[in-house]
Amino acid sequence: MSKVKSFAGGTHPPGNKGLSSGAAIVRLPAPGVVTVPLCQHLGAPSKPVVKPGDEVKKGSVIGEQNGFISLPTHSPVNGKVLRVENAPMPHMRSGPAVVIKTESEDGGEVYEPIANWENADIPAIINRVKEAGVCGMGGASFPTYVKLSPPKGVKIDTLIINGVECEPYLTADHRLMLERTDDLITGMKILARVLGVSDPCIGIEVNKPDAIELLEKKGVRVVRLKVQYPQGAEKQLIYAAVGREVPAGGLPLNVGVVVQNVGTCVAVADAVCKGMPSLRRITTVSGLGVNSPGNFEVCVGTPVSDLIAAAGGYSGDVERLISGGPMMGMAMFTDAAPVTKGTSGILAMSPEEVRDVEEGPCIHCGKCVDVCPLNLVPCAIATASEFAMWEDAEKAGALNCMACGTCSYVCPAGRYLVHYIKRAQNEVRALIRAREA
Amino acid sequence: MAENRVFDIAVSPHVGSSQNTRRIMWDVVIALTPALIAAFWFFGPRAIMLVAASVGAAVLTEWLCLKFMKRPVNFAFDGSAVVTGLLLAYNVPAGVPWWLPVVGSAFAIAVAKQAFGGLGHNIVNPALLGRAFLVASFPVLMTAGWIAPMQWKDGERIDVQACGVPTAHLMESGELDALSGATPLNALKQTFSWEGEPERSEEVRAMLFSKESIKNLFMGRIGGCIGETSVIMLFLGAIYLILRGVLELRLPLSYLGSVALFGWLFGGQGWFDGNPLFHLLAGGVILGGFFMVTDMVTTPVTKKGRIIFGIGAGLLTMVIRRWGGYPEGCSYSILLMNLGTPLIDRYTKPLSFGEVKKNG
Repeated sequence: MSKVKSFAGGTHPPGNKGLSSGAAIVRLPAPGVVTVPLCQHLGAPSKPVVKPGDEVKKGSVIGEQNGFISLPTHSPVNGKVLRVENAPMPHMRSGPAVVIKTESEDGGEVYEPIANWENADIPAIINRVKEAGVCGMGGASFPTYVKLSPPKGVKIDTLIINGVECEPYLTADHRLMLERTDDLITGMKILARVLGVSDPCIGIEVNKPDAIELLEKKGVRVVRLKVQYPQGAEKQLIYAAVGREVPAGGLPLNVGVVVQNVGTCVAVADAVCKGMPSLRRITTVSGLGVNSPGNFEVCVGTPVSDLIAAAGGYSGDVERLISGGPMMGMAMFTDAAPVTKGTSGILAMSPEEVRDVEEGPCIHCGKCVDVCPLNLVPCAIATASEFAMWEDAEKAGALNCMACGTCSYVCPAGRYLVHYIKRAQNEVRALIRAREA
Repeated sequence: MAENRVFDIAVSPHVGSSQNTRRIMWDVVIALTPALIAAFWFFGPRAIMLVAASVGAAVLTEWLCLKFMKRPVNFAFDGSAVVTGLLLAYNVPAGVPWWLPVVGSAFAIAVAKQAFGGLGHNIVNPALLGRAFLVASFPVLMTAGWIAPMQWKDGERIDVQACGVPTAHLMESGELDALSGATPLNALKQTFSWEGEPERSEEVRAMLFSKESIKNLFMGRIGGCIGETSVIMLFLGAIYLILRGVLELRLPLSYLGSVALFGWLFGGQGWFDGNPLFHLLAGGVILGGFFMVTDMVTTPVTKKGRIIFGIGAGLLTMVIRRWGGYPEGCSYSILLMNLGTPLIDRYTKPLSFGEVKKNG
């Protein structure tokens, strides 16, 4: 058994994964109306290529790629376009979306499967990943094909698959590792071949022993990781798994590493071997605010309210509805917003689960400094931000923060450290732009 | 389609630890309680009366200041004023009049804390500044108010022998008239001034550094300030704080280690002949090390900074004990280091993850 690895810093929020970790993935049919966002991936939204009244097939392109860091968007159903409009989004107030009336989910247009991917042209595989609209399924939704096309001169020697799932409550990746194991392994092999990596590994926290055992039995190299938030953050995962420190402001490829989420691997396998674009995802619905938490495979564009209904409905008082995990997830103002490719979970949190502490002054306890996985001094950045001292915030390293929320989690004064730092990041970026202009 | 529900939004993270400022402050209050019991045992009901007066004055002053500044007055009950009141009382001799800690606490809260902006904004430890104010304003009361332990119970005027302080020698030098129960550090300070009589000072130091004396120091059966004498009870409190996750160990360990090191280095007459254990256990080092060096507001936030703070305070403590004008240097050393905290934080900013050192 390999040694359990970790990174420096971090904290231990209660996992609460038991609420849904035992629930097998339930496949939900497409709802009567889907609201497919054109901004599911990081980067420029896809450009809509349909108009109201158009007939669309499942898998047909409804939004085309619009720039390098962008992806096409496909229809998850056969049906008729009702509207192209701005709709509420889980990760932002509103964004462009295509509203489609579902007729059926059968057949549809799919790409030609690349059955012999072991010998196929590598650019053809990368192109498939791109045209299938695959983006990172871990949360940040970065277009996957970009990560597979490193700039000239950059040598990638390590591929780490992210099966850490360090966010409390979330169990979608865990279930996916148990139930889509073969697709996961195929996707991993495809990615390894594309990148020219011979010995990829998968990082998993030791709180998922069944997944570790299953994958090892199938011959996958597993890196056991300590249960510690944020173990699944890209830079922390790389450090724990291979001991390399990604430069501040740099990317994993600067140290020869590519990280891909387990869900992304399955999406890649589906795109390459089955020719299936990225139309569905597995997501967790949990929290004490729903009656029966579980894991669901749903069409993108499914309203969150449908997911909640599938999980037995609201159980009572819901203080907060979150897209993602409780540490980094976004609070949603309405359950009318649709699921996107990046929706790793939907949490309906009861009042007793949500932290309710009145914000007080910083007492300089230094706990945020002790836990910051990026070795920053969060309280100093936050104070600079509070007083609009943007240059000080920049010097204190505001831009290096990944907003993992560990500092806010431990802060005894209940300070909104992440909020202050994110604010500072916006202002510092504006400052830098102004300086360069 | 069913009606969609709407929700309040908030910034992430949506969950948080159960730790909060109020809990930390009350934990410190609980951790200081064993020492209060020891104070009652050794110095009698009088000690409790002084502590109560001090705490009452601290909370009342805080309340009045907040009221006056039109701030929410419930801050007065967050426990931080209670901690200040306790620590101030723990730092005065048991023989002082009741109004002395009241004045000290009021000064500590009004000037050292609220004038700087209240909780989290004070530059120096309020209790220690309050004590410094008392020492400067009422030097005689603050240095002559010693009560010998158990005096209240046994009815004897002085039980100095039990303190490990050699009565005869002090009698001879005529110092005893001024003291109703000398502290071990006072006695040690005397020996440094007997330049012409090396044998006599050597003999007194041998007694102070003896096993019997160390044992008394540990239990608290010595003269001293109300809350600082009983090392064992202070340890109990410190263990409680460690178990509750309140005490971060870099500050106390670097401070105590530094006191021990420099105590051994120059805590005796010459070099390398001090007794580190004596210097750790005597005076306010244990109280300071676990409850005042560790004051979150006035100490550095960086890991390296906390160690520098502890070492610096330990060095200053020993320098004052050996060469300064006072027998004890614990409180002034911490106050001085408090002033350096922003500077220490500035120069010990850690390299963030993935950041490369610029030209060393």
